[in-house]
Amino acid sequence: MQLSVQGIVRRFGPVAALGGVDLDVAEGEFLTILGPSGSGKTTLLKTIAGFEIPDEGTVLVGGEDVTLAPPRRRDVGMVFQNYALFPHMTVAQNIAFPLEMRRRPREEITRRVEEALRLVELQAFGQRLPRQLSGGQQQRVALARAVVFGPRLLLLDEPFGALDRKLRESLQLEVRRLQRNLRLTTIFITHDQEEALIMSDRIAVMDKGRIEQVGFPGDLYARPATRFVADFLGESNLLEGTAKGGGAELPGFGRVPLPSTQPDGPVTLLLRPEALRLGEEVEALPCRARGTVIDTVFLGLSAKLRLRLEGGPVVLARIPLRPSAPPPPAEGDSVTVGFSAEDVHVVPRT
Amino acid sequence: MSSPGHNREVIARRRERGLLLLAVPALLLLGAIFAWPVLRLLSMSVEGGTLAHFEKAALDGLYVSVLLDSMKIALMVMGICLVLAYPVALWLSRAGRVGLALGMFALLLPFWTSVLVRTYAWLVLLGRNGVINRTLRDWGWIEAPLPLLHNTAGVLIGMVHVLLPYMVLPIYASLLRIDPDLPRAAEGLGAPAWRSFLRITLPLSLPGVSAGCALVFVLSLGFFITPALLGGGHVVMVSMLIEQQVREFLDWPFAAALSTLLLLATLAIYALIGRLTRGARLATQ
Amino acid sequence: MPFNMNRRGILRAGGGLLAAGLPLPAFAQGATPPKPDRIVVNASGGSMAQFLRIAYFADFEREHGIRVVDTSPVDFGKLRAMVNSGNPEWTVTEIGGQDGDRATEMNLLEPIDTSIVDLSKYPDVGRKSHIFVGSAYSTVLGFRSDVFKDGSHPKGWAEFWDVRRFPGARSLRNHPVDNLEFALLADGVPMDKLYPLDMDRAFRKLDEIRPHIAVWWSTGAQPAQMLVDKEVVLATGWNGRFFELAKKQAPVGSDFTQGSLKSSSWGIPRGTRHAYWGQKFLQTMTNPRLQAIYATELSYAGLHPDTVNYVAEELRPLLPTAPANLEKQFWLNTSWWTENGQKAQERWTRWMLQRG
Repeated sequence: MQLSVQGIVRRFGPVAALGGVDLDVAEGEFLTILGPSGSGKTTLLKTIAGFEIPDEGTVLVGGEDVTLAPPRRRDVGMVFQNYALFPHMTVAQNIAFPLEMRRRPREEITRRVEEALRLVELQAFGQRLPRQLSGGQQQRVALARAVVFGPRLLLLDEPFGALDRKLRESLQLEVRRLQRNLRLTTIFITHDQEEALIMSDRIAVMDKGRIEQVGFPGDLYARPATRFVADFLGESNLLEGTAKGGGAELPGFGRVPLPSTQPDGPVTLLLRPEALRLGEEVEALPCRARGTVIDTVFLGLSAKLRLRLEGGPVVLARIPLRPSAPPPPAEGDSVTVGFSAEDVHVVPRT
Repeated sequence: MSSPGHNREVIARRRERGLLLLAVPALLLLGAIFAWPVLRLLSMSVEGGTLAHFEKAALDGLYVSVLLDSMKIALMVMGICLVLAYPVALWLSRAGRVGLALGMFALLLPFWTSVLVRTYAWLVLLGRNGVINRTLRDWGWIEAPLPLLHNTAGVLIGMVHVLLPYMVLPIYASLLRIDPDLPRAAEGLGAPAWRSFLRITLPLSLPGVSAGCALVFVLSLGFFITPALLGGGHVVMVSMLIEQQVREFLDWPFAAALSTLLLLATLAIYALIGRLTRGARLATQ
Repeated sequence: MPFNMNRRGILRAGGGLLAAGLPLPAFAQGATPPKPDRIVVNASGGSMAQFLRIAYFADFEREHGIRVVDTSPVDFGKLRAMVNSGNPEWTVTEIGGQDGDRATEMNLLEPIDTSIVDLSKYPDVGRKSHIFVGSAYSTVLGFRSDVFKDGSHPKGWAEFWDVRRFPGARSLRNHPVDNLEFALLADGVPMDKLYPLDMDRAFRKLDEIRPHIAVWWSTGAQPAQMLVDKEVVLATGWNGRFFELAKKQAPVGSDFTQGSLKSSSWGIPRGTRHAYWGQKFLQTMTNPRLQAIYATELSYAGLHPDTVNYVAEELRPLLPTAPANLEKQFWLNTSWWTENGQKAQERWTRWMLQRG
């Protein structure tokens, strides 16, 4: 493991910002810590970087215990939310800074700064001051500065937060490409689940100072381990029902078959909006319900519908649109929706 | 014809004019209490269309050497203030609420006492038989009293005491403006605390340093009560000579000529300080 | 109304005098002008104002029923501006240092009306055309009486200069006035041959004493304070400051030998509205009994020869105007200083700057 965080607890007064965090990141892996603001993800990142000393627990980088080591001894590159570029130094001087601190020879510094500038495609900007660059360019300088000294770990603290959507998307890809090329073990922090799904090898979802679940993006999406993960990651219909003898009674849908291992009692079922079908194909599905459209949002390749089912619950459905197909049902239309049993995921109760 | 761009410009200009209007009372006040007297002073120094007063002030070695001495004292006060003030400002910028309140109180205390009281307090402390010398002698650390008073050292101590806040506050303000992530980033990139300070914090606080230096330097040049009392007559400031010309000899034109020279010298130093810290100020704007 | 009648009468009388071109004071013909409800007396302020009130203001108010309002500070520039504006606010003002002669020369003052202000018993130094001498003070030699016991202190400036017989740190004023005189006296010039001052000789003599001057003082409080703190053992200073210390039993003594006498000047700003009552006020100030009250507090005795007799016997030797003390001292020649002050000051500053 390139990074191993074990049992980290950090309290601020009576509040536990981190309540026992364990996390392992393999070499070359891109791991995203995803969580709402206040979930403790920035505190965790600062603990890994060495700006916070944990009250309990251990931080290992490359197998070495660095729990109490000062930041400069950890060999960790970090990109701050606002980039933290040194405003009085040129771009080249900013990038040279970590090399100078490591007392590299002058020629080596010059060469590596040039390489780093080329890497982020800013060869022509070496002599500019940070404030003479656009937000995206500044972000790339911060990245170049964080990787130029070959750190054991790259930490990115919501680095795209201040950028507009388009720039953000191109930078997401660029960072990902860079990370793959350099085979850099990377911890990335975001509260944007879409961003997390696009970029990560694995995602750790945090809430209230704890890691709720760590897994591959697809797994997390399809098989969330907790109700919070199910709700936070993507859009979801969480349906409450009662399990009994390998099936569950759902209001509106009737009986839904469940894995035989499911014990009897109340259950929460996750049904992603795209698992709900409408129209003719519904006839073939085992679980069906009738309902009324509350509203329809047109999204280009798909449409999002809110439906009130007979028997009470409101569900969200996302249906694909083809140019030749008829328009989606509109507000007030009566529809029949259905899903196949294998699209249902039982959310474990904690 | 009015294009949208033109309209925007008109509106912007109107808003600017409105803001300027708000500044008018302050500008008038400045004009009345600052610009006008300075102009009067300048015109008085060439009263009767003669440069004789300047000739006397500039060519007589006496006044030039007093002027140079005054600037030397002012520079020394500035330097000592800087060395003492920076750590205080640094500490204040990182202190908690209680520390900040106490620190500010201690710092601003000299403002609440009159110059004379303050100066006499130093006489009591620094004299041959003053508190400091007596204590050191009682402890057997010294045999003869240290010459702390009635010399340049006494003047420097007294002036630094009064002027220290003028150095601390601008530096404190510019330290507060530094993003705390910057020194953090430097440390994360491998800098020990002292190198992070030298490379990041110090250069970024230069605007405050420059403002503080300019303030202390200019104010130092105007001091005459403190140097007269604590210097024991061994330190002569040009402001003392100007005051003498005005009060004792009613020679206003000559006093005006001396003041003008002082003003020019001050502006020159001021420009120099500005030039030395220009890069830092530009970069941190 | 009688009041109006009266005023018009005076105005007419005044106009007549002006027309005749007679340089007589406006009230010389004996008519008493109306009483204002108050007059303004401008003086140095501080504790001095308090004792002026006890000694003179109270008596004047009792006698004439006119309130005395006191203002401060003494300011020559303001006096000049007031007179030039034609409406001086002050009825009477103290005039600082050597400015009395200058005020007279610049025609800023009403002449002293000796038919009201009785100076017949005053010595010559107290009879000036436009200046009333309120009191006299002197720059004298102060010393630590525990260092120089039983009259073993230096007497006169030759002894002050004698650092072998009278060792210890000294203090002189950071100003040429007095010091040039003292230097010449130390060099053997007799008191009555001082003026015009021989500056070259004075500065040569000052060179000798310079290394022994620990402090060049600049405010009146300093020499007394430095003697008390034992910062120095000998200092020149204004006799009033030493007088205060003597009354407090501090181990500080003073000696009038070759002291430099000066007089405090009072005048009536030219054109002030109640000039007549200003003259009356100055007359109150000539009263030796009142002068004695003031002198008992501050030692600054008026010039009326009888004043000393009203002062407690043990305080008399401390008054600069006591006959025995007057003999030992000289009067500072203010007209020499008015003429040569700036030049002397410049040379003084130059001399102070010579490192040595």
